Amino acid sequence: MSTCVSANPYMAKPVTVQKITVENEARDLKTFRLAFVNPADRQAFAHQCGQFAMLSVPGAGECPVGIASSPLDGDYVEFTVKRYATGVVSSALHCLEEGERIGLRGPYGNSFPMTAMEGKNVVIVSGGFAFSTLRATIRYMLAPRNRPRFKTVTAIYGARSPGELLYKDELAAWNASSDIAMHVTVDKADANWKGRQGFVPTVLGEVRPSAANAIVLVCGPPLMLKFTIKPLLDMGFAPDMIFTSLERRMSCGIGKCGRCNIGSKYVCRDGPVFSYKQVLELSRGQF
Amino acid sequence: MPQASLRKEHFGKFVAAVSKGRKFFGPLECSDGVQLAELSPQDVPAFEYGNFTLPPKRFFLPRSEVIAVHGPGGMAATPPSQERVVLFGVRPCDAMSLTYMDKVFIDETYVDPYYRSRRENTLIITLACRQPAVTCFCASVKGCPAGTAGADIAASDLGDALLLESITDAGHAFLAEHAGLMGKPSTAQLKARDSQHADAGKKMSPVDVEKLPARLQAAFESKTWDDISQRCLGCGVCTFLCPTCHCFGLHDEQVGPVQRRVRAQDACAFPTFTLEASGHNPRTRQGARMRQRVMHKFCYAAENFGELFCVGCGRCIRSCPANLDIRQTLAEVPE
Amino acid sequence: MHEVEIKMREAARTLLESGKVDLVLGFEQGSLPLRMRPCFARNAGATVGLVWNDFCANNLAAYLPGLFQKPADVRGSWTAPTVAVVAKRCDARSVIELIKENQIPRQNVVLIGMPCQGMVDPRKAQEAAGANVTACKMAPDKQVELTTAEGGVAMSPREAILADACLECATPAPQGADVEIPGPSRPSAANPYGRLSEFESLTARERWDAFVGEISKCIRCYACRQACPNCYCKTCFIEQSKPTWAGVGDELSDVLLFHIGRIFHQAGRCVGCDACVRACPKNIDLRLFTRKIVKDVQELFGYVPGMSLDEQPPLCTFKEDDNESFITHP
Repeated sequence: MSTCVSANPYMAKPVTVQKITVENEARDLKTFRLAFVNPADRQAFAHQCGQFAMLSVPGAGECPVGIASSPLDGDYVEFTVKRYATGVVSSALHCLEEGERIGLRGPYGNSFPMTAMEGKNVVIVSGGFAFSTLRATIRYMLAPRNRPRFKTVTAIYGARSPGELLYKDELAAWNASSDIAMHVTVDKADANWKGRQGFVPTVLGEVRPSAANAIVLVCGPPLMLKFTIKPLLDMGFAPDMIFTSLERRMSCGIGKCGRCNIGSKYVCRDGPVFSYKQVLELSRGQF
Repeated sequence: MPQASLRKEHFGKFVAAVSKGRKFFGPLECSDGVQLAELSPQDVPAFEYGNFTLPPKRFFLPRSEVIAVHGPGGMAATPPSQERVVLFGVRPCDAMSLTYMDKVFIDETYVDPYYRSRRENTLIITLACRQPAVTCFCASVKGCPAGTAGADIAASDLGDALLLESITDAGHAFLAEHAGLMGKPSTAQLKARDSQHADAGKKMSPVDVEKLPARLQAAFESKTWDDISQRCLGCGVCTFLCPTCHCFGLHDEQVGPVQRRVRAQDACAFPTFTLEASGHNPRTRQGARMRQRVMHKFCYAAENFGELFCVGCGRCIRSCPANLDIRQTLAEVPE
Repeated sequence: MHEVEIKMREAARTLLESGKVDLVLGFEQGSLPLRMRPCFARNAGATVGLVWNDFCANNLAAYLPGLFQKPADVRGSWTAPTVAVVAKRCDARSVIELIKENQIPRQNVVLIGMPCQGMVDPRKAQEAAGANVTACKMAPDKQVELTTAEGGVAMSPREAILADACLECATPAPQGADVEIPGPSRPSAANPYGRLSEFESLTARERWDAFVGEISKCIRCYACRQACPNCYCKTCFIEQSKPTWAGVGDELSDVLLFHIGRIFHQAGRCVGCDACVRACPKNIDLRLFTRKIVKDVQELFGYVPGMSLDEQPPLCTFKEDDNESFITHP
């Protein structure tokens, strides 16, 4: 491989689909465990929680996906992808089988404020499949060698129904763990559901995490964000203590193609993580 | 700076000499007006023209290009072009636009190898404007009809001869290489150039870009955008003809058995530009899309690169099918 | 001409004042020489800016389908506006086709029919004067006086600087409008397909070469599509992603596919208003090809688009004795 090719930022690295996990009953959410074909690419790939990468299916194209695995996980990178009927790449990803080869380039963007979170109480509020990068963050914080660096970890995570909850095994483990106060909720329970029922903003009101010495990470659909920010502000979280991850259509992922900007900022390069203070400045509080 | 005079009767020889090592593009009368076209020594160049329909960005960021082919071993990148090119007759506004594009494609974190390679292998000879068009306003946006930003060599048309002045090292070397065809400019020629340059600058009406970034920022939610954009038909003329518009998309295509990745210019006026796979679109109104284009150039670029991404070439004004005029749009942004 | 303008303004003012319409789509002074531009007058006061002259070229029908679609970001109830359109006959014919294609509700449109003497093609005017034209004034004996930026004055016959489409127009006089502005119109062209005969006389190979030669100038800016009243598809076939019919770039086969698709979609629909040609920044002669398709439909099915509201478009009807001569076997 010549130097100019390796320096070409648009070239995806080959990865093998090691494992595919169907996450939900609707079968439109799958987690892909990808392993680099070339060890050098694995070596070069060092991500932080909250970053994303471009997944590339030959013939279909590329799309940006948040990284769902922790930097401390093994020799693989995980992504949870939702399939949209109108989405060319997400549909192509969902047609993949284990052992197939696709492309990956990244990691791109900034991360959750991991350094600022150290020594603080961390609150995580999430709904739907936006939970994926926060799952990476929880896995990272709960790693034995990292856990002492953070104070309390409180997480509220909701899905439409029990069948739509992601990472069910991990949720069960976190529910049983004393390292994290895990609050799982569903919008609509079914006969077998023994947990909480209620929308994420409602549960947030019930849990009422303290804003003292705390940082909150909020990821979810725009409507959930809208109804979550206000109670958080009411609870005393300042706009610069609230962090969220934004999504926009992207093409290059490296701040050149001009597609994903919100105001003067590129979501791919300056984000995807923004404080609510920044969101207010950039887009008048619109997600 | 090194200067030389090239008699127009020797232009064919000049093209022949240059063509030994490079592709020579210059102004040529085509079926759709004077365009920057590949010249052979026999061609009669057109020295009288306003500006080319298409800006020179197509030589650096083509409308579309194949950047890779997918194969069993992964992506095989298209090697960046090493073709050596001379562009003669680029207008100063367009040459300046390339210095802006450089800021996007050759930044400290990621370098676009295709763009950079073409830039490095292209020598730009500008030709100063004698008669700015009614749509020109370069003087309001840091330019000038005889500007040299982005030029390796700046040429002036003095009737029977061209005065060439090299600006960059590549330009100096080029002049030295072709010195045999050129002479030393006379004092009269230098004088003629000066008065020509001074005259051309007086022929444009000014556009007020003072405090524009702040004014635009304050007018983000103004109803003005919906009012102005009523007329906008939503085509890509302004974008594709703009020398600084650089937004693009990466797409996969299948041609026969070959799967390839294509990079193609895109336009923020199109609703599909921000349409997400989920069907969500953050810019559903034409007003929001038009605001994005104007703000990208006159506000966000100022924040990110310290420059307004407009060189006053007037192409968007001249070619808009609905006669939307950026000069008026900027004037209508509320104070 | 001035009287026509005054009467049009009065009609527009009356319509807005009486509340019969919410919007008058007309023309206002443009920012460039020889250019008027679309004007959206929403109250009687705004009608003072309406103009009518030889440069009111745009086909305003292109804006109509969008005006009758509820904006994506409006929640709850929404009422479609009633819109009056200052329309040359070609534009009015577009409106009629759009009504027939259910893109605009008949009761929400008021056609202000304008007499038409043909519109000036600014490119021809520039060529006639050989320099930057800054003004164009009518002169006696069907001449025009062209003033240039350098202060020169050139005379040209008016016919010589009219748009090709106007020279070939079979229907310059208003007809069937809701409000008809009286005034002189140019005579109908004897042969509306005059320029086609040369193209038709070519062999298939030559026609293809001519088509490819012209279309290869395209940069795919979609100005032709966006300016065309008939191109209202919510998602143009060329931009569909599932499936994808063509690549996104300027590779010739993709460009040709776009234009072949667009031109064939004009069969029995194109009124020859020239909007596509005017909008094209590369001066591609698109009208030549759409005219050919329109002529074929006229010859095969006896249909001329936009002539009446009652006549069924040929693509919407089927008769057992329909002409099938154009169906060939390989």
